[in-house]
Amino acid sequence: MGTRTAFAALATCAALLVTTGCSSSFGSDKEPEQDKAAKQKLTVLIATSGDAETQAVKAAAAGYAKESGNTVSVEVAKDMNQQLAQAFAGHKPPDVFYVNSDQFANYAKGGSLYPYGDRISDADDFSQQLRTSFSYDGKLVCLPKDTSTLGLAINTDLWKKAGLTEKDYPKTWEELRTVAGKLTKNGVTGLVTSDEYQRLGVFMKQAGGWLTDADQKKMTADTVENAKGLSFVQSLLKSGSMKFAKQVDTSWGGEALGKGKAAMTIEGNWLEGGMKLDYPDVKYAIAPLPAGPAGQGTLAFSNCWGVAADSAHRDAGVDLVKYLTSAKQQLAFADAFGVMPSRTSALTSYAEKRPTAKAWVDGSAHAQGPVTIAGFDKVLSQFNTELQSLRTADPKKILADLQRNGEQAIAKGH
Amino acid sequence: MPIRTMRVSGAPRSTGSPGAPDSAPGETGTPAKARARRAGLRGEGTWGWLFVSPMVLVLGLFMVLPILMALWVSLLHWDGQSNPFSGQADFAGLDNYRSLLTQDGLDRTLFATSLRNNLYYVLLTVPLQTLLALGLALIVNQRLLRGRGALRTTFFFPSVTSSIAVSTVFLFLFQGSGAVNSMLSWIGVKGPNWFADSRGVLSLVLGGLGIVDPERPTGMLADHSTMGLSWFEWLSGPSVAMCTLILLAVWTTSGTFMLIFLAALQNIPRELEESAAMEGVNRRQMLRYVTLPALRPVLFLVLTLGLISTWQVFDQVYVMGQGAPGNTTLTPAFLSYSAGFDNADFGQGAAIAFILLALILVLTVLQRWALRERGARTGRNR
Amino acid sequence: MTAAATAVRERTRRAPHDRGRPVLSRFRLPWRLVGYGAVLGLGLLYLLPFALQLVTGFKTDPDAAAHPLSLLPTTPTTAAYQRLFGLSQAADGVPFLRWLGNSALIAVLVTAGRVLFDSMAGYALARLRFRGRSVLFGFVLAVMAVPGVALLIPKFLVLNTFGLFDTYTGMILPLMVDAAGIFIMKQFFESVPREVEEAARVDGAGVFRIFWSVVLPMARPALITLTILSFQGSWNEFTHFLVSTQSGQYETLTTGLARFVSGGLGGGTQYPLKLAAALLSTLPVAALFFCFQRYFVSGANAGAVKE
Repeated sequence: MGTRTAFAALATCAALLVTTGCSSSFGSDKEPEQDKAAKQKLTVLIATSGDAETQAVKAAAAGYAKESGNTVSVEVAKDMNQQLAQAFAGHKPPDVFYVNSDQFANYAKGGSLYPYGDRISDADDFSQQLRTSFSYDGKLVCLPKDTSTLGLAINTDLWKKAGLTEKDYPKTWEELRTVAGKLTKNGVTGLVTSDEYQRLGVFMKQAGGWLTDADQKKMTADTVENAKGLSFVQSLLKSGSMKFAKQVDTSWGGEALGKGKAAMTIEGNWLEGGMKLDYPDVKYAIAPLPAGPAGQGTLAFSNCWGVAADSAHRDAGVDLVKYLTSAKQQLAFADAFGVMPSRTSALTSYAEKRPTAKAWVDGSAHAQGPVTIAGFDKVLSQFNTELQSLRTADPKKILADLQRNGEQAIAKGH
Repeated sequence: MPIRTMRVSGAPRSTGSPGAPDSAPGETGTPAKARARRAGLRGEGTWGWLFVSPMVLVLGLFMVLPILMALWVSLLHWDGQSNPFSGQADFAGLDNYRSLLTQDGLDRTLFATSLRNNLYYVLLTVPLQTLLALGLALIVNQRLLRGRGALRTTFFFPSVTSSIAVSTVFLFLFQGSGAVNSMLSWIGVKGPNWFADSRGVLSLVLGGLGIVDPERPTGMLADHSTMGLSWFEWLSGPSVAMCTLILLAVWTTSGTFMLIFLAALQNIPRELEESAAMEGVNRRQMLRYVTLPALRPVLFLVLTLGLISTWQVFDQVYVMGQGAPGNTTLTPAFLSYSAGFDNADFGQGAAIAFILLALILVLTVLQRWALRERGARTGRNR
Repeated sequence: MTAAATAVRERTRRAPHDRGRPVLSRFRLPWRLVGYGAVLGLGLLYLLPFALQLVTGFKTDPDAAAHPLSLLPTTPTTAAYQRLFGLSQAADGVPFLRWLGNSALIAVLVTAGRVLFDSMAGYALARLRFRGRSVLFGFVLAVMAVPGVALLIPKFLVLNTFGLFDTYTGMILPLMVDAAGIFIMKQFFESVPREVEEAARVDGAGVFRIFWSVVLPMARPALITLTILSFQGSWNEFTHFLVSTQSGQYETLTTGLARFVSGGLGGGTQYPLKLAAALLSTLPVAALFFCFQRYFVSGANAGAVKE
């Protein structure tokens, strides 16, 4: 008797609240009501690489605020992915924000991003592979904020000490094997890089393979080309002339290069800022990555400027993005924290100003953009986990796992 | 109000049995009890419900309702965007559970990895923290030890601090070139790069003994697999990184359990110890034959409390690695969170949460059942 | 009980002992020294992390990285603290004062709510007779068994459905009642002799009057324990805030610090800053702990004895 009353009471309470509450927060079908005020209040969420980037974005936002009369507040996320995912699911997103390429497809698929690509008249100025990465269902969703590619960074002092000259900068895999062997001695390792596909993937690309086909519709991981690329890395690892950054007590290639533990590393434009900050006295040069059996290849990375579908200030948001991705502003960002402009026009003037970064700039011609498939985050992190044991594991098995996991993720997404 | 006055004067419930619970309504009792039941104030029932209404509302809305809603969501493919309670949601039946438990794939591999990690975490943390807590309690219980109070405070203090703050400190201490490794270098040990080392401790030990080659496992262990993990991976033990989490857990929880042991130690009838002393036992015998047997029920309580709480490890994982390196600090609780909030797969996350919930509830029910059995037995003895 | 033990008990009853005296003789001196050494070492193991935390807060980043174990900063600086309290320029991303304010606000409200609602519910479950009481008590026991971490996604779903996600209400309301507190209060009220209430009833006091002016004042020790446990619990709460908020303005010391430590490694490791923030966030609970230690102790034991 008592039991029944209590349950009835509980159930009534719960049911009442469910029916009254449900209508409130879900319901992405409706278009959000747009703020029509002349002065709009925008919030921007960024993930920063350091104070320099934060200051630069804030300055740019202030410049836009002055020009447009809107107010812009820039917030720094500490854990971008989690904060954005919660914000989208809670329907309280910031108006404008960085979108990591790993997460882009998840957000686009869920309809969290306002696809403003068709409102950008000069979208062609952005490089083709970056536009592909940030398109969903054939539509350009958001503009790439900037870009960076990978190059071969060389510690020039160690290079000279090993009796090598600039002419010896490796152009092919075999040359890379030779110089790495020569450089490996006295606690120095020839080539040190992180144990993740974001670095090792260059060898797959150079061998003529990649994880997916060009449209990112099909997995092409389990191929002879990819196996060739990974086997080459494995042979270097086995010979000891290549090591992963963690094996030499460093957290990334730049640190190994700066501490003199590595003569060469594979890193992108961010290396410049890192070296300037932590190892200002270490001399280094950037060379193009050596070519593999299928020619040259490198990887490109980028974030894009997302505008929230749930934003009440879409127009102002797109306006702000246009301002932030203008050639002038991109060059200012490049000066402040080292990234490359994602506009081809701005990239040219960037290259003129920075001859040292030539290899990175040239890399964009044969660079592979990031994989952007919904639900792929964990597939790739599992791939990275398996790459950690590449020295002893069977490359074919790693690739077969990746193929299987990727196919499942693609199937689940459709 | 004749009955009430009678109760007071007759005092059937004197201070002699203060803790005795009232008889539940609806229960058939003696006539005296029935009268006592009717003796309540007018509207006591209304007041009763009024008093518990905040509890019913809050716990109902934020404990019961979430479980029901999550049960529903765990049956969907839901990416967190649409309304899961309308028709738009993609009903998936038991798919989420199937991909975690039976279907070969990444989801199952990750889930199995998280189970393995947490299993080792439990297997190491529970005995260590219990032993340490017992040891600390025995020390602090030494009547002749100077500064016992200060020691008790010291041992207990880590337990009251926030798990986030303490994890931050441990991150600092266990850096590659951090305090712990500098200390280890004093005794000539080169400490590992704790948070970057994904190698299993057991496989390292076996590798050191030359029994297996941890980098190239062969034979039966490598060829068989369960839930997508090879036997070698199941058996390679907690990773070096996971060991720091285990140390942290032992360090922070031992204080609380020490207090529980201490209370039990102080409840041991002194006469028992004195009679044993008179029979001329030494310290070890006293511990073996008097103290430990008396602590047995508490020991069981501490073990089960530890067992339940170690399956819930989350905060430390969030701060100290979020699964890295190589998924070796991934736990089911964190996997549930990250499936939902990192990968926008809330159905999967809810399904993991449910499996975890079931596991912990089973443990709790076992604990309560066993404690009740025990309580009944000691009750008879008394 | 064996006959011998009964006999001993008889004897001891006749000759009451000083309870402070040990049962067995002391250790011999060398052993005693070894023992003290070991105990001291063990104590250091518990203290050293906090000592290093305190000292490192006053070091510079390179100093902290180069000499992680030294108990004296080579170049003492208060830069970390200045940054936390917004006295220096580069305070972005660590709005410590906001975290502190949020934590304090929430802890105070949650504590007030818990003390009131838990004792009300505890009293009703212990003393008032109403339909469904035993079911409700079973409900409380069941809720106590539900692990918080299994409710991360579920709680987010509910808060989101009610439109409480990313609001103070959503952060506070679900914490207002906790089952363990109700259990503690119920146990306590059951130990209070009934006569007091009966007497008040004879004087014609109503249920609420009896609860408010007679029973609650008697429950002071239990209330203090509950207050302290609630404050500590809500101050250290992490998972609930993690899933109930998203924007920076609602960050508390726990969520703010956790996101700062786990995510934004952008500007180097910044351990002095992180450790200083962690230290400041433990201070209030530490202060409470040193003032009211015995209530913490009784809380730890009350929490353990669940059945």
